[in-house]
Amino acid sequence: MTLLRVENLSKEFGGIHAVSELSFVINPGTIHSIIGPNGAGKTTLFNLITGVYTPSLGAILFDDKSTAGKAPYELAKRGMSRTFQNLQIFFNMTAIENVMVGRHLHLDRRFLPSLLRLPGIAKSDALAREKSAELMRFVGLEAYLDADADAMPYGALKRLEIARALAAEPKLLLLDEPAAGLNATESREIDEVIVKVAQSGVTVVLVEHDMKMVMGISDHILVLDYGKKLAEGTPAEVRNNPAVVAAYLGGAHA
Amino acid sequence: MKGVSRWAGLGALAVFLAVLPQALPNNYYVDIAVLAGFNAIICVGLNLLIGYAGQISLGHAGFFGLGAYCSAVLVTHHGWPPVLALLAGAILVGLIAFAIARPILKLKGHYLAMATLGIGIIISIVINTEAGITGGPDGIAAGPFTLGGFTLQGERDWYWVVAGLLLLTIWLATNLVDSPVGRALRALHGSEVGAEVVGVDTTRYKVMVFVVSAVIASVAGSLFAHYVPQLTPTKADFFKSIELVTMVVFGGMASTFGALVGAAFLTTLPQFLTVFEDYEPIILGGIMMGTMIFMPRGLVPTIAAFIQRRRS
Repeated sequence: MTLLRVENLSKEFGGIHAVSELSFVINPGTIHSIIGPNGAGKTTLFNLITGVYTPSLGAILFDDKSTAGKAPYELAKRGMSRTFQNLQIFFNMTAIENVMVGRHLHLDRRFLPSLLRLPGIAKSDALAREKSAELMRFVGLEAYLDADADAMPYGALKRLEIARALAAEPKLLLLDEPAAGLNATESREIDEVIVKVAQSGVTVVLVEHDMKMVMGISDHILVLDYGKKLAEGTPAEVRNNPAVVAAYLGGAHA
Repeated sequence: MKGVSRWAGLGALAVFLAVLPQALPNNYYVDIAVLAGFNAIICVGLNLLIGYAGQISLGHAGFFGLGAYCSAVLVTHHGWPPVLALLAGAILVGLIAFAIARPILKLKGHYLAMATLGIGIIISIVINTEAGITGGPDGIAAGPFTLGGFTLQGERDWYWVVAGLLLLTIWLATNLVDSPVGRALRALHGSEVGAEVVGVDTTRYKVMVFVVSAVIASVAGSLFAHYVPQLTPTKADFFKSIELVTMVVFGGMASTFGALVGAAFLTTLPQFLTVFEDYEPIILGGIMMGTMIFMPRGLVPTIAAFIQRRRS
């Protein structure tokens, strides 16, 4: 049983092969890391999986169903959620409202009841607020419960995106460089959050440059280089793979 | 807590609207208040689109005019009861807005501004040239608004109707903003892709808010047609659209009460500057520029932030 199956996936941007002929599977309940040098196609791969980009070739199966032609919001309905390398925070809202937007799919969002603010809407909003506060505490944002998003530091915004993604209760959570720009202590805290998320049964796919984090928490690692699969396996296997060492050290002297 | 402040704002406004007529010395001032009320209703709706969802429209006077002319034509030429004509206008405008929203809202920024501008101008041209139906530049008289043997007469009657409708519109708008629907609208303003990946169908919400704001403008237009003795095409033209956007921007984007204040202020101001009548567009442009440069968030949010800073 696989949660995500990528088959022969390619994406071209005007002759540049950002991702080419890539195949791999992701099993449920694991932490799966995707690593590779800058420009290896990691973020492009995330955008393909989540429906932000359309593949040039190949197929992506989520829960054994094709994702072809599906918009990101439709894939979100099927249980996919993500964060972004370049923050996509709603800076015009408060921190907790950002997380509440993550609850969107689980709330009564019919037009007329919202317009008239029927008792059900007020009640479910109060619950969503509680649940969102809980998630903010879970990712270590208890200090920002009353903050506006535009008044928060970078590290806190990274966590806010994770809380928002978790609020959607995804089966598959894709994290694009959650530790980028964080100091060592903050990185370790994010580590813990990711491990806790995985333990709660969510499958995590991680793009990350922090090798200490990747090697420490991943069950499985996929190494990309120039859009192609360079290696795949457990952290120990990948660490000892000559091709990986060569790509990272920039030579064939491994 | 938020619920309390919402009712407090609405309550304060209700009290203000209730005592305002006593403070107005004669019907000339009541007339200004009614006109400000009409503008405020449109602006509260337009603010949902511009301020909350972050989409621009430079053609909303077109929807206002369409509603107004629909009422005027159906009532005078076809003898419809005003209420039915108003509903027909709202449905027609809703359908037109829905039909054009999908292609038009794929555009962003300047392109969206240009497209909505085009829609507004087309509506304005049709109203001007279809003289056989609309009366052309001379306009058309829709006659008084009647409902079941009851006729609205004089500025003071109208004042209460418009005040009531304004309160209702503000209540509905604040409800919507503070609901999952409203959060989705604000979220797609903040980051479209960020909203999409947590399940917000951004296209659908953009279409929805466009239609809602157009229908509100149409309803205001239908009533307006009966309020004025003669409905003329200038009420549906490009300049009126710009005036509406200026009211929203000046009062404060993403602030329902800001839209109200912006509409009230910019409706009232020209009445006291009648000596400068020829310069009205210049003054309006100056206010728009001054707002963008010195308080880009608009009057009400800027003052609110100032008070909050003073308190803490």
